[in-house]
Parts: sequence; C-alpha cells; structure tokens
Amino acid sequence: MATLTALVIGVYALAATIYLGYLLGRSMSGGAVAERARAVGVAHAVLAAGVGLHLCDIGARCLHGVNPISSTPEAMSLVAFLIAAGYFLASLRYRLAAAGAFAVPAALASLVLARVVPAEADAPHMSSLGQVHILLAVIGVAVFALAAVLALLYLFEDRQLKRKQFERMMGRGTPLETLDRLALRCVSVGFPVFTVAIVTGAIWVARLGLLRQAAALRPEYLFALATWAAFGVLLIARVGAGWRGRRAAWLTLGGFGGAMLVVLTYFLRHAA
Amino acid sequence: MGGPTIDLIVLGVSHKTAPVGVRERLAVVPEAMEGVLGELAALPSVREAALLSTCNRVEIYAAIDRDGDRAAQGLGEVLARRAGVTALELGAHLYERRDAEAVAHLFRVACSLDSLVLGEPQILGQTKQAHESAVRHGSAGAILNACFQGAFRVARRVRRETAIARNPVSVSSVAIELVRQVFGGFDRRQVLVVGAGKMSELAARTLRTHGATLTVTNRTRARADEMSVRYGAAVSDWSELPAALGVADIVIASTGAQRPVLTVEMLRQVQRARRGRPLFLLDIAVPRDVEPEAGKLDGIYLADIDDLQKVAAEHRDERKNEAADAEAIVAQELDRFLKAWRGRQLAPTVTALRAHVLGLAQAEAARTISAMPGLGERERRAIADLAESLAKKLLHAPQMALRNDDADDGVSLVVAVQRLFALEVAAAAPVEGDADRSEAPVAANVPDKKAAGR
Repeated sequence: MATLTALVIGVYALAATIYLGYLLGRSMSGGAVAERARAVGVAHAVLAAGVGLHLCDIGARCLHGVNPISSTPEAMSLVAFLIAAGYFLASLRYRLAAAGAFAVPAALASLVLARVVPAEADAPHMSSLGQVHILLAVIGVAVFALAAVLALLYLFEDRQLKRKQFERMMGRGTPLETLDRLALRCVSVGFPVFTVAIVTGAIWVARLGLLRQAAALRPEYLFALATWAAFGVLLIARVGAGWRGRRAAWLTLGGFGGAMLVVLTYFLRHAA
Repeated sequence: MGGPTIDLIVLGVSHKTAPVGVRERLAVVPEAMEGVLGELAALPSVREAALLSTCNRVEIYAAIDRDGDRAAQGLGEVLARRAGVTALELGAHLYERRDAEAVAHLFRVACSLDSLVLGEPQILGQTKQAHESAVRHGSAGAILNACFQGAFRVARRVRRETAIARNPVSVSSVAIELVRQVFGGFDRRQVLVVGAGKMSELAARTLRTHGATLTVTNRTRARADEMSVRYGAAVSDWSELPAALGVADIVIASTGAQRPVLTVEMLRQVQRARRGRPLFLLDIAVPRDVEPEAGKLDGIYLADIDDLQKVAAEHRDERKNEAADAEAIVAQELDRFLKAWRGRQLAPTVTALRAHVLGLAQAEAARTISAMPGLGERERRAIADLAESLAKKLLHAPQMALRNDDADDGVSLVVAVQRLFALEVAAAAPVEGDADRSEAPVAANVPDKKAAGR
C-alpha cells in the first residue's frame, strides 16, 4: 500500500510540474505552441493515471479494513482524490489546463499532508452519523478547494490583463467568465453539503456529550462556522446582489482559507 | 536544384511583383476558368494546366514537354492577352520557375510562405480549388496531380508542426482573441460601439459576424442611426452613455474627440453599479477615448491601439521565426517528392531506353543484311548478333548509372536520358502511395489527354 501511495504522489508531482510549466512557461514563441499543446495532453494523461492509481490505493486500503473516512489522514487522502478527479473531469469539458497548475499541486499537498501525519492511535468508534458528517465535510472541503483553485486562476489572469501581458495569456488561459461561472457552481454545490456536514457534526458532538465540556469551544468548530458564514455571504452577494469577478474570487479564497484552518487544526491536534 | 527533374513550369504575378492594377486585370473568375484552362492546355508544348487566381496572385502551373521555352512563351501570351497588354509589358511583372524550382514554389505558396500575410490560412483552400477546377475541366494530369497532392501534404505538415498560423496578426483579430480570453466568445455579449466613424464601422462589421449584440452611440445621432440600419444594431442616445456602459460587456471606442470621452470618474460610477462584472474597453481611437487610468479600476480591462498593435507585431515576429522551420519542412518534403518522382520514372525510362537502342540495332542489322543478298544463314545471324551485343554493351553503363542515380549532384539522369534519347515515357501512378490519396479529388487520375492521344 505504501508503495502504491508513493507512486500516486510521484505521478501527481509529475502532472503538477507539467501543468506549472504550461502556466508559467515562456509566451507563445516559436515551436513552443505546439509543444505546449502536447504538454497539456501529456499532463492530462499523467493526471488520469494518477487518479486511477489513487482510486486503487483507496480501494486497497478499504480491503485492508481502512475506511477512507475513518481518520483524518484517510479523509485528507479522499479530499486529494476528489480534487484531482473533479479537476480532471472538468478539464474534459472546459479549457482548464491553466487551472491544473493550482488544482494538482493542491491535491498533491493534501495527499502528502495525509501521509506524513500519523494516523490516530485509537480512532474512536464512529457512529454512522459521525461517518456521514465526515464524508459530507470531505466532499464540501474538496468542492470548496476546486472553487478556490478557479478563484486563484481568476486573480492570476486578472493581474495579467491589468498588466497588459496580453500575449502571455493568448491561447492558454481560461476565459474569466468561465472561471467565475464555474467557481459559483462549485460554491453552490459545496455550500449545502457543507451546511449539512456542520449540522450533522453538531448533532454528533452533542450525542457524544462533548458539548457540555470545554471541548465545545474547540477552534475548529469556530473556523468551520466562519467558513460556512463566508461562503454563505458569498452566495448571497453573488446570487442576491450580483457580485462578480475579483471581489467574489477573494471571498472564495477567504472562505477556503477558513476550511484550511479547520483541516490544519485537526491535523495539529492529531499530530500533537 | 539546377537540373531537369520534372517537367513543370509556373508562370505568374503576385503581390511581390505586380501592383493590384495588374493583378486585377489578370484575375480569373470561377465562371471563366473552364475557358481559360482549355485555352492554356491547347497551347503547343503544354500538356497539363492549372490556374491559381487570388487577390494576391495569378499563377499558371503547367506540365510541359521538352520545348519549355515555347510553352512559356505561349502561356505568357495568353496572360498578356487577358490583361490587355503586350507580352513585353507584362514581362516586367512576370516570374517563371521550372522543374524542381516550380514544385518548390507551389509548395511554398500552399504553405502560405509566399503570402502577403505570412501563414494566412485561405491560400491552402484556394490552391485546392485551383487543382480541383483543373481536374474538373480535364486539364490536370499525372504531373499536376502529383505536384498538388505533394503541396497539400507539405501544407498540412507545416500547419501541424509549426505555429505559423496559430496567433492572430491583425489588430482586429487580436482584439477578438482578447475578448474571447475574457468572455469566452461573443455569443449574446453586449457590445457598445462608441463613435460612428470608419473604424467603428469596421469593428461593427467584424463583431456582427461573430454573433455579438451591437449598440451604437454617437454624438451626432443621425450617423448612429445610419450605422444601426446597416448592421442591425440598437442605438443609444449620447446623453445616456453611462447607462449604456452599465449593460455592456465590451466597449469599442473610436470617436474623433480630442479629449477622452470615457473618464475615470464616469467609469468608476458605472463599475460600482456593475458589482465587479468585467467590462472590456477597446480604445482604438487616436487621440484616445478612454482615460488610461480607467484600466486600474476593478473589473475593467483596457486595451488601446498600441497594446493591440504590440501583440499583433509580436505575433508577426513569431510567424517569421516559424517560417524558418516551415522552409526546412518544405525543403525536406521537396527532396522526398523529387526522389519519389524519379523512382516512378526509372522503370519506364529504362524499358524505353532499351527498346529504343535495341530497336535501332535490329533495324540497322536488318538493313545491312538486306543490302547483302549473298550472305548465308550463319553470316546473317552473326551480323544480327553483333548489332545486338554492341547495343547491349553500350546500354550497360547507362542502365547502371540510371539505377544508381540519386541526383545529389542536382541532375536527374532519368530526365536527362529521356531528353537525350527523345524517349516518350508516360507518367505512372501518383507519387508515393501515401495516405494523401484520400484527399485527391474524385478524378485525380484523369489520363493526360495529350499523352493518350499519342
């Protein structure tokens, strides 16, 4: 299993390198154009292989009785898988090669984080409610991560346009409008999932009888609420007040930052 | 490439040698093509003919027999007659290439390496039409078919392997590409054209073809009304400019105003109401219509004429770089083509040479024998054998040389032998049985009508 995980990490790293080269490589000069088109094809193929291997890795762990939502590291691996697979599927439909430079490193970081942190020594026996909570939280975080990737690319391209680096963008960027629209779609899907995750999480914690303890004020609960609030405000601002563009992108990144804090707090707690 | 390899000639004028005044008189409309091709193919020494007529060039491609000068003269006279000038007057604009150089020229033309705008895509289609038209009207045969198929193959390779046609090189196409970068396309996009001058009109026409919804605003309402009728655009009153900006996605500013008409303050107000929705301003006016500082406002992207020209110039430079790669591909493919062509000619040439020389020997022996009636059977046989053996010995060295000829010294022995011995060798099947045949027009193997008549 460890070999398979190492292989997945290696393949993701390779795909991430190619995507980054695509985004940051020299502008359209000479034969670079044809080379770059080929690079995208290679990157997509490498990523597809990575996603396939990752699925095998998760499957193999399941066969060994390691449930993908049984612990924080396993859940992080699932987040990485969802980011990579979600990006890969979206890139089949949209011209999103530039977004790969953010999405694949994000999946890679998530997977590496999952594997460097030791699994909880004694994972508490989880009720089905707890499992539902973790699964929904994982999906929510992964979808928010994809939204953040799109927002990041939006800000990157916005900066290039503002600096009039037009020739660098031509032929390799994703249209700003597409990024904006897809990010909104991600948040619209992620928000209700994350909402249910928070509700089930609260009920789960209450059932465990932890609410009365001091643990009720654990920082991750507050970060989770802040994340939920940020995405809620974003949705209201976008759908209600028609917010678009940079402001929406920054708010998406802010919300995702909150989600990252939740995840990191869990990690620090378990690593401690 | 000096020696004879293939009996092709190209004769014509292009943007490089003739002003538009000359080119337009030579241009051949599709309806007149049949008549002109018939006239060309009927000329002495011309076996096949095709005519490429575009805005930038009028060229005759012809397969000729050994008397190339007579063919060239005839073709030149037809062109001069069409232009209503003397052959001498036309001669100043006319260029002529023969043999391998003619094939190279055709390859370069099809790859858009000889075009006014390097890498422009239309020329390949026009070349295909020229060939199809010659095939349809029966004036194309084995040589032209092989050369044109070769040209299409090279053009495809150049397109696939170089970036010569990848990026836009005109200001308007750069603008369109930039808009695509922001909005993905023009479908259902609101374009506001500010100003109703010539440049605006040009932009409106281009955008209309891309499916944008147009609104025109102009200080003088009557001009805007005029333009709206022509391009099916809505008209917005000049006093309502901020409101019109509020709903637009793309603004093309091209007024004749001496001071900016779209100020930072106006755009700040507009953008506040737009809540970050992107607005692309294309300022193609000189002096500029948009205050440059407006480009810093949130959600506003501004490109002025210099920005667009800069991108276009960079792309033109890139195309020049790519042209070197394309030229290398052309040279490579030309070499391959000529080798394949020679290979095709070899077997029939050797057969023809043997038949020619052995036939002569036999005829001479028969003549000698009939002049000496007293000879016995043995002597008659000896004379016939002597003639045949002499002929075979003489044939040996040339035959070996032909088989080993790779024409690296620039002279194709195959064609040289054909000419030295006045051999008539019918051209065989198309060069290289490659996949390109699928692109050949229906009647690609139309027999050479004159050869068939021989």
